[in-house]
Amino acid sequence: MSPELAFLQALNGISFGALLFILAAGLSLIFGMMDVVNLAHGAFYMLGAYIALSVVRTTGSFWVALVAVPLALGALGLVVEPLLLRRLRGRHLDQVLITVGVALVITDLIRLKPDWGAEVRTLPPPDALAGSIAILGNDYPVYRLFVIAFGVTLALSLAALHRRSRAGALIRAGVDDAQMLSALGVDTDRLFAVTYAIGAALAGLAGVVAAPVLGLQPGMDVEALVLSLIVVVVGGLGTLGGAQVGAALVGPADTFGKVFVPQFALFFIFAIMALVLLLRPSGLLGRIRVIR
Amino acid sequence: MSRIAGLRPRVGGLRPRAPGFVALGLGALALVTFPYWSRDWESSRYATTVLRDILVFAILALSLDLLMGYVGLPSLGHAAFFGAGAYAAAIASQRLETEALFVTLPAGVLVATLLALGIGLFAVRASGIFFLMLTLAFAQMVFSFAFQATDITGGSNGFAGVRRPELFGISFSAAEELYVLVAVSFLATAFVLWRITRSPYGRTLVAIRENERRMRALGYDTRAIKLSAFALAGALAGLAGALSAYSLRFVSANDAGIGTSITAFVMVLIGGAGTLAGPAVGAAVVILIERVLNSYIPFSQTVLGVVFVVFVLAARQGVVGAARTAWARARG
Amino acid sequence: MIDVRDLHRSFGGVTALDGVTLAVAEGERRAIIGPNGAGKTTLFNILTGELAPTGGTVRLAGEDVTGRRTFELARRGLARMYQRNELFDPLTARENVALALTAKAGPYRFGGIPADEARAADELLERVGLAGAGATPARALSHGQRRQLELAVALATAPRVLLLDEPTAGMSPAETARIAELIASLARSLTLLVVEHDMDVVFRLADRITVLHEGKVIADGTPAQVRGDTLVNEVYLGKVIAE
Repeated sequence: MSPELAFLQALNGISFGALLFILAAGLSLIFGMMDVVNLAHGAFYMLGAYIALSVVRTTGSFWVALVAVPLALGALGLVVEPLLLRRLRGRHLDQVLITVGVALVITDLIRLKPDWGAEVRTLPPPDALAGSIAILGNDYPVYRLFVIAFGVTLALSLAALHRRSRAGALIRAGVDDAQMLSALGVDTDRLFAVTYAIGAALAGLAGVVAAPVLGLQPGMDVEALVLSLIVVVVGGLGTLGGAQVGAALVGPADTFGKVFVPQFALFFIFAIMALVLLLRPSGLLGRIRVIR
Repeated sequence: MSRIAGLRPRVGGLRPRAPGFVALGLGALALVTFPYWSRDWESSRYATTVLRDILVFAILALSLDLLMGYVGLPSLGHAAFFGAGAYAAAIASQRLETEALFVTLPAGVLVATLLALGIGLFAVRASGIFFLMLTLAFAQMVFSFAFQATDITGGSNGFAGVRRPELFGISFSAAEELYVLVAVSFLATAFVLWRITRSPYGRTLVAIRENERRMRALGYDTRAIKLSAFALAGALAGLAGALSAYSLRFVSANDAGIGTSITAFVMVLIGGAGTLAGPAVGAAVVILIERVLNSYIPFSQTVLGVVFVVFVLAARQGVVGAARTAWARARG
Repeated sequence: MIDVRDLHRSFGGVTALDGVTLAVAEGERRAIIGPNGAGKTTLFNILTGELAPTGGTVRLAGEDVTGRRTFELARRGLARMYQRNELFDPLTARENVALALTAKAGPYRFGGIPADEARAADELLERVGLAGAGATPARALSHGQRRQLELAVALATAPRVLLLDEPTAGMSPAETARIAELIASLARSLTLLVVEHDMDVVFRLADRITVLHEGKVIADGTPAQVRGDTLVNEVYLGKVIAE
């Protein structure tokens, strides 16, 4: 591989990593706060992409979708958490299972909607980002650079929020010990509902941003779920830093895996996951946490 | 030594419960011979086919229940072994140009067992939600292999034209004989698991579920024991997979996919984890929803999802568990 | 029997054990005392392999077992009665003991449950004062009975060394007397290590006493020597008696 090509593949890898970060951040946040692995995360991601498709079809604007989809998914999260998860508080495994049921229903409904599921759809990038620019003598799609910029900006602003704001302080405290927050008089019902909504919104956001690159098709939910699981397992569950490190590692690894061993790219990142699990069972940045 | 000693309480315990055993034996006989005594009113063999598929999935659900209900390891990747068994039986038949049951069936079981040993090595280090995630992710790896390795598995087109087996001149290609093969396999699986749950080994599994730390302190290598259960469950799932390949004459990557894993999981949960009858009941409920309901309404998966949510929220012990509780209450 | 050399363990920046050296002879009854946070539980966790030391060695019957896993140490004859009950709650008292009794036979037995097993389990239950409770699920037993069952489970592995982690914790005076009596009546060949806050029990049981303070051994000797040690009285015994 020529150095130019390697550089472009590295860009692809970073761009994919940026996508994975948006995706995994929501999963990690929900887990860190509520001890629930949200297995509906892939379905939320998929739903986000399809809503974006409809929004772009009606309004003609990608940017409207970029704002509307997270709001819609956030609203869905605000319904799902109090309606289902709250009834099972303290029963983490059952909470995880119930998200499987949610995923089954969402993906089935997407499949049934005539102008949505069942076949492959594409969502073109917005006009402003549709072209490509020359990098090292090759054409490179501008949209992928946008994805990198978007992902990095989101990572930085989330990190800043996490460290500085009152919401961030609550989240940090909640990740350490949600019960303690409740003892301190914080309304945990509201906190958990909002957490779940933010997680869902992030999944939806990832769906919008990814759609012009990865397209929309049946099975994209599972792919997204598994990739984000790998990211958080590698990086460490429940921490923002874990999602960042995991995404930064898995994105390029997947991209280069596809270049060198196209048939078995997934094996490559699974090998990384297995290695991390062997050496550091709680992930690279994971805290030791007893999961019952 | 211990085997001989072990026989005593079982033989002793058989006598007072003899009527129950006779009824069970007659029921088993009726189940195995279903296609023959139903011939008059069931000439299309539709019911035989549905019942056969229920039994195939009952084997899968039973094997998963060994992990979920007894060892307390909730696997969302059990389809990997089902798919591996299906592909291995199909590929063995194709490559070795044989229909011999004693070649293709062991091939399916063996490959599934080895795969379970490999994945289990990593997975059993975790527990609870972490275990769930790992099994899901590893199974997806198997799925993507099946989906991409077109030369071996047929890739996205699936593996069509699986040959039905024969054993010592008996062909299982007709619907009736194939059904008998599946029904006997189901009964054998149920018997093996019934024996296990009443053996020292089964008690060890339950004790690990209850307090793994204590078991280690008593000198049990709990990781190895969990791995053995994981491999055993994988082997039985492989058996179910091979039977599925014979039945449908087709293997698809989805057999190893998360959809199948979830189906098996839902079956165990609806029927009742930790019971032997539960997974079979769950398999019947789910297959009937998928098959029968699906021919009337297009959104059977939504129905399944809602049923699943309701069971998690309101009837976590499943149909059989709830019936058992009700029965115990009725008797005082 | 147990030979601990220069054992260190820290958690993050906090040092729990800071160079503990300790030798317990076969058949000896050793009490380990010290204020809360002295490192007693950390020491026990390292001895049973549930925790790896950051430095130092542990020898069991002459063999270096540092870093061995818990089940390997248990197979070499180490048993522990936990401070908080670690029982199999839904299983009966008899089954709890049976699981310990048959640990050596291995788990891979697929026949029926041997009939002689229940008899052996009931004998042990009787020995710890739980005669007739064999069929009761562990979760239905009273706190005191659960401590007795905990002892029966520990004894059922036929250990050479028994670690007792606050055996009388949370017990009434009558229950305390009873369990102390039980422990005192154990075979003299069994090596005992006891962590205990009840000084009456400690001075009654122990051949020797080791005093831990802030991760270090500050005294080690016969009960009389330890009682007379001024440093010990200053940091620990004085307070206990004053309370």
